[in-house]
Amino acid sequence: MVVRKELDDGLKQIQDWLGEMGGRVERALRESMTALTNLDMNLARKVLADDLRLNQIEEQIDEAAARLIATQQPVAKDLRRILAGITIASDLERMGDLSVDVAKAAIRLEGQQLVKPLIDLPRMADIVRGMIAESIRAYNEENVDLALKMAKDDDEVDALCGTVFRDLAAIMAGDSGTIGQAMLLSFTARYIERIADHATNIGESVVYLATGKRPELN
Amino acid sequence: MKARAADRVATGVIIGMASLIMLVLVGLIAYLLFRGLSHISWHFLTSPPQSIKAGGGIGPQLFNSLYLLILTMLITIPLGIGAGIYMSQYAKANQLTAFIRLVVEVLSSFPSIVIGLFGLLVFVNLFHMKYSLAAGALALTVFNLPLMVRVTEQALNGVPREQKEAGLALGLSRWKTISSIMLPMAFPAILTGTILAAGRVFGEAAALLFTAGMTTPRLDFGNWNPLDSHSPLNPFRPAETLAVHIWKINSEGRAPDAPEIAAGASAVLIIVVLLFNFGARWLGRAIYRKFTATK
Amino acid sequence: MSDTAFYTKDLSVFYGEKQAIKKVSITFPERQVVAFIGPSGCGKSTFLRSLNRMNDVIPGARVEGEIRIGGRDINDPSTDVVRLRQKIGMVWQKPNPFHKSIYENIAFGPRYHGVKDKRNLDEIVESSLRKTALWDEVKDRLHGSALALSGGQQQRLCIARSIAVQPSILLMDEPASALDPVSTAKIEELIAELKRDYSIVIVTHNMYQAARVSDKTAFFLMGDLIEYDETQKMFTNPSNRATDDYISGRFG
Repeated sequence: MVVRKELDDGLKQIQDWLGEMGGRVERALRESMTALTNLDMNLARKVLADDLRLNQIEEQIDEAAARLIATQQPVAKDLRRILAGITIASDLERMGDLSVDVAKAAIRLEGQQLVKPLIDLPRMADIVRGMIAESIRAYNEENVDLALKMAKDDDEVDALCGTVFRDLAAIMAGDSGTIGQAMLLSFTARYIERIADHATNIGESVVYLATGKRPELN
Repeated sequence: MKARAADRVATGVIIGMASLIMLVLVGLIAYLLFRGLSHISWHFLTSPPQSIKAGGGIGPQLFNSLYLLILTMLITIPLGIGAGIYMSQYAKANQLTAFIRLVVEVLSSFPSIVIGLFGLLVFVNLFHMKYSLAAGALALTVFNLPLMVRVTEQALNGVPREQKEAGLALGLSRWKTISSIMLPMAFPAILTGTILAAGRVFGEAAALLFTAGMTTPRLDFGNWNPLDSHSPLNPFRPAETLAVHIWKINSEGRAPDAPEIAAGASAVLIIVVLLFNFGARWLGRAIYRKFTATK
Repeated sequence: MSDTAFYTKDLSVFYGEKQAIKKVSITFPERQVVAFIGPSGCGKSTFLRSLNRMNDVIPGARVEGEIRIGGRDINDPSTDVVRLRQKIGMVWQKPNPFHKSIYENIAFGPRYHGVKDKRNLDEIVESSLRKTALWDEVKDRLHGSALALSGGQQQRLCIARSIAVQPSILLMDEPASALDPVSTAKIEELIAELKRDYSIVIVTHNMYQAARVSDKTAFFLMGDLIEYDETQKMFTNPSNRATDDYISGRFG
């Protein structure tokens, strides 16, 4: 058995970085949601600051992938692993940006009172965080079943998103003074729903990595 | 179809020619053995010749041939291999070496009688060696040196350059590389050349007539002091070899059984040459195997 | 950044009237792999062979400029070329084990350089064969002929032979081009292992191999050094147009 150390080490490094990104995105979502629920400005700014590292890791992954393709001539599964790695890194980076958007919404609400206690939004965020964790686990294990199961949660997120829209619409209809805040919270629901879409994209990448086929999970 | 027919004809012709050569060779050996074998006996191989009586042997001549072979090879092999190594590994490619190579070529095509006369003039007369084994051995060296040099040179040139470079790259000196890596690889080819040279020594008569001489003194086979004139080992005594003996009794033999003696001696000559060939090849293979660790 | 193992300055090599290498200056980092790439006849092998003065063997070859190893110019008349070559191992395109036993192939060099004790020699043989991942394959037939080994094994034996005399530099002239893909991969793996102990220079006509195994790459063209840089840089973003064309397979 021949070992391709250079290539294998590179692939392992990419995998480790993706794991780190996944952890960071999950935390960013959790913290931004907490910041929004409690209108905690310090926590919201921390989310903004932490995002820099995510962008950095994505660049590192792109660079490593280019190096491995240029110098190690990966083919078949090795090649899919790298291509999937690039796509997943890009998804995670976007998920980080969307978490930042949630944190920014919290910052916009500085000094205001929430029109209603947030219940469905944190629930959405919990589900999506679970999806992020599962998508990364599915990637690490190349577990197609887990990826498919995770993608199903997206429906629940979409349904919750609809509920949030309707509730906020009712509030806006009742009191035009709440329109600004309600719009912002609607956007937040939208951001979280988008994060879930990216998580399903990761699921698609996992299926591609494991089988070479590109399914449509959305 | 035409190409195939031509191919068949060519194959047939080649096989025919090869068969013809084989036939001539086998016929010749069979004829000599058939004529000579009946005459060979222990007595024939060990007793001295008789000049007018029947029942003479070829003992001293057989010994002389073997001894001369050893003496000649003792001189020829180191000289020839040394010169071959020089020509192949040390000599620069210039006009001088080209000239030396030409001289070697010319020398190898000299008729042996001319070498014999050269030996008579230089070794026997000029150096006062008289008719002697030593003079004969030197003449045969002149005769065989070109062959040995050329064979060694070609054998060494046939060793792949990477082998030589591998030795040098390990930090071996040039001589160590040649002696321990290249010579063992060249050994089979050099051995073949040596056997050829030895065969020529055994069968040579013309070059020996006027150098080793046509007589043998009374030899005392109990006396092994190489400086005593009656010792068979004395290199400065005249020595008639088997080939010379055959020539002599054929041309001027007065013994009544001269034709039978000539036939028997010829058969012995052939048998010894064959034995020598096979023996040397077997030994060579064994040595080569030891060098190269091949099975 | 690692230390310098050796360097050349304005090195030119001539074969008779023809200039095969034109004033090339390269610095070789210690314990890294430097690959030479370029089309046939670009001078990469000539350059390699000048580093242990193997061009001395070729009539009419002449060298100008400096090659400095540990500060000394190896072409200086006072240089002991025999000692120099002991410090620089070499591996050829075609495996060229000596026509001797596996054991003798390796023990020969150290014994010549003064290791007489049988036990020490045994140790050198074993450790050299282990370093080249050959020990388990040949330990039961150490006294059998080296020529009975497969091509890939022979090449690893040749590498073991050269490291047995404890060089600090290894020169490899297309070491895998005569081997099948599996043997090639093993040689490449071995090179990655060996660079922990040796500074390695490898000539290869397979630029993918250069990309895989080397830390730095030098691109030669008609005796000129066109570009010399980190391998990663050379293969993702070369500075020179000719390098780009060559490694993209758009050359000529």
